[in-house]
Amino acid sequence: MSAGATIALLGQPNSGKSTLFNALTGLRQHVGNWPGKTVEKKEGSFSYGGKEYRVADLPGSYSLSANSDEEVITRDFIASGEADVVCILADSSQLQRSLFMLADYAGINVPCFLLLNMADVAEDQGKTIDAKTIEKKLGIPVVPFSATDIRSYDSFYKTLEKALSKDSRINVEELAAQYGSIKGYQDICDLIPENVLEGYSPMWLAVKVLEKDEVVIAKLKNALDAETFGRIEEAARGTNGAVATGGCKFRWIDELLGETVSAGNNTVRLSRLDRIYTNKFWGKAAVILTVLLGLIASFIPALPLMGVGEAVLAVKAPVMNALYSIGCPEFLILIVGDVIIQSFSYIFKMLGFVFGVTLVFGLLEEVGVMARISYVFDNTMGKLGLQGKSVMPFLVSFGCTMGGAAGARVIDNWGQKVLTIALAWAVPCGAAWATIPMLASIFFGPGAVGVIVAILFTMLVHMWITAKVFGGQLVKKEDRYGMIMELPPYHKPKWGALFRYVLGRTKETFIRVTKVILLVCGIFWLLSYSPSGNGGILYSIGVAIEPVTRIFGLPWQLFLSYVASAVGKEGAVGVISALYSGGSYGNAFTQAMSGGADTSNLSSLLLANVTKPEALAFIFAMTFNMPCVVALAATFQETHSAKWTARIVLYYTVVSLILAFIAYHIGMLIW
Amino acid sequence: MEELLELLKDGHARTLELLASELGTDTDDIKRKLEYLENMGIIRKVCLSPCGAGKCAECAMHSGAAPCKGCLPENGFKNMGEMWEVDKGLIAENRG
Repeated sequence: MSAGATIALLGQPNSGKSTLFNALTGLRQHVGNWPGKTVEKKEGSFSYGGKEYRVADLPGSYSLSANSDEEVITRDFIASGEADVVCILADSSQLQRSLFMLADYAGINVPCFLLLNMADVAEDQGKTIDAKTIEKKLGIPVVPFSATDIRSYDSFYKTLEKALSKDSRINVEELAAQYGSIKGYQDICDLIPENVLEGYSPMWLAVKVLEKDEVVIAKLKNALDAETFGRIEEAARGTNGAVATGGCKFRWIDELLGETVSAGNNTVRLSRLDRIYTNKFWGKAAVILTVLLGLIASFIPALPLMGVGEAVLAVKAPVMNALYSIGCPEFLILIVGDVIIQSFSYIFKMLGFVFGVTLVFGLLEEVGVMARISYVFDNTMGKLGLQGKSVMPFLVSFGCTMGGAAGARVIDNWGQKVLTIALAWAVPCGAAWATIPMLASIFFGPGAVGVIVAILFTMLVHMWITAKVFGGQLVKKEDRYGMIMELPPYHKPKWGALFRYVLGRTKETFIRVTKVILLVCGIFWLLSYSPSGNGGILYSIGVAIEPVTRIFGLPWQLFLSYVASAVGKEGAVGVISALYSGGSYGNAFTQAMSGGADTSNLSSLLLANVTKPEALAFIFAMTFNMPCVVALAATFQETHSAKWTARIVLYYTVVSLILAFIAYHIGMLIW
Repeated sequence: MEELLELLKDGHARTLELLASELGTDTDDIKRKLEYLENMGIIRKVCLSPCGAGKCAECAMHSGAAPCKGCLPENGFKNMGEMWEVDKGLIAENRG
């Protein structure tokens, strides 16, 4: 058997190279590494027509630029002359895209032929490809092919022989004319002599110089005299580089395909929903309305767990009664009743809202609406001096501010990152969203919806003002490029996965919240405990500071709960409950024992002690207070600045108290 | 492609469909251009999860079993489509 040629298989990833290689060589293949590289080298052989052919399966790469080891290995192997012919594979089902490799190859002086692989897939898509016309335009053999269909291989062998016998090379006349339109190209091309680098034409090298291909530039520097190389560098300066050459290659592909490929209608029509969401005028309103409706809707799935919370509360009196009857010390009875049972009642009620909010936001993300939200608000980010991707930390902050702060690490500009985190703090987190509706519904009944709307509106204004306050120091005015977004299609939610996610989040929250609430409530309860019934340490402090806290519409109990909310918003309501029952334990316990357990019921407790304006002031103060200590730590971790972390904390403390003041006085006008 | 980048200079986000419509082409053409620009490092894909729900380098540094603080919970924010941003530094470099 006589020795045949060496064939190199060239193509982008997923072009079907490996399928072809395996089909040609079967077991006659071996795998190693390219010298000095960790890139896999696959070689093999096959016999046809009494000849033995060697096949090299070159690493799959997007192009022949020097962006990766694979690309450099591929082009060096081809240009070295080791391959007698190069088989370029393109995906027939997306020729516009996959012929880029051919365009990037054009100008390499090695015979080649084009295999239009996956012709069967293109046919199924209703595409017809006139391979003969493409062949005529290219000047190399072109054959429709399907690497998975054994019947196609006969045409492969014949095309291979044809390419070898005719020494076929790509006609680059049209492509060179395209490159000719790039400023500096012709000058560079004229300065590069033929065969200065073996295997590459001056056209190919000139294009790589324009593309700032460091490997090619270094080789030219070695091969040419300093003056010529200097003139090449000068000619390449200030050109549009890779953007321009890429454009030429795509135009050449389009002209090559021209009328030779017919496809079905691929006009994209926006769905009715997308026409609203992506509308310049209605988009923002539609998105805000969606979020608002989502938050309101989250009340519904919250109901069952709220019922559990009520059931837990119902056992408080019987348990305390039982403990009393077995002679348990009063201190322990009160801890069990006022701290543990009451906290768990609150935890379950809060979990209801966590479950509801997570379910609604998870659903919005699952069906594809969340992506539209980030698209709609991208331009707003620009107005705040931020990058479009800043919207992601904000969305994450609806769940957890710590996640939002940590998520800001995707922003490379430090100033923008700090500003993003500062603004993310204004987004009420999941714990706040669990507390706001609960308190609002106790005090305002159906008016709770109005409170939620007011909170959302305040959040937006807060973010805008905060951006103005900090933006000048953190963000320099600079050119901003818009983002490009491929929106996911709308689809039905996968309920199983969604519920697994929501239940997982609820479970995580339960564990975290239980620790925080029991700890915070326990400490506050202990500090407010007084066996004599005259009030504990907190009572003394609270009464002393109350003249000041009243300015913000906060009685001392609410003010201390506001302070506790800085540790974790989860603890705020629990602390209120503990503080309002503190100082009168004897009475509360007696009432509980006698069945008049009004003070043990959170709603009654609050309604009996807090006015509506005070409640409104507290809701605003707590919501826009520092999110929690964990978010604080994450902020410091991401900003690496104690100064900026402290500034943000101080700013939020001041703003939350101002908001409480405003809310209280508005409340006074209303009620 | 120059027209595509020129359009984005106004700072407004665009969907593939909007880009295609403004450039008088189709989304397949836009996709192949984005692929090219991404390969040349002129644009880059935005990491939508802060760092990949437990699969980032930082997660790998500790146990790897639990996501690091920057990661979203597993299965969080997955259906967000794709986003690309322009690397201004590389555009300037590309222009020499």
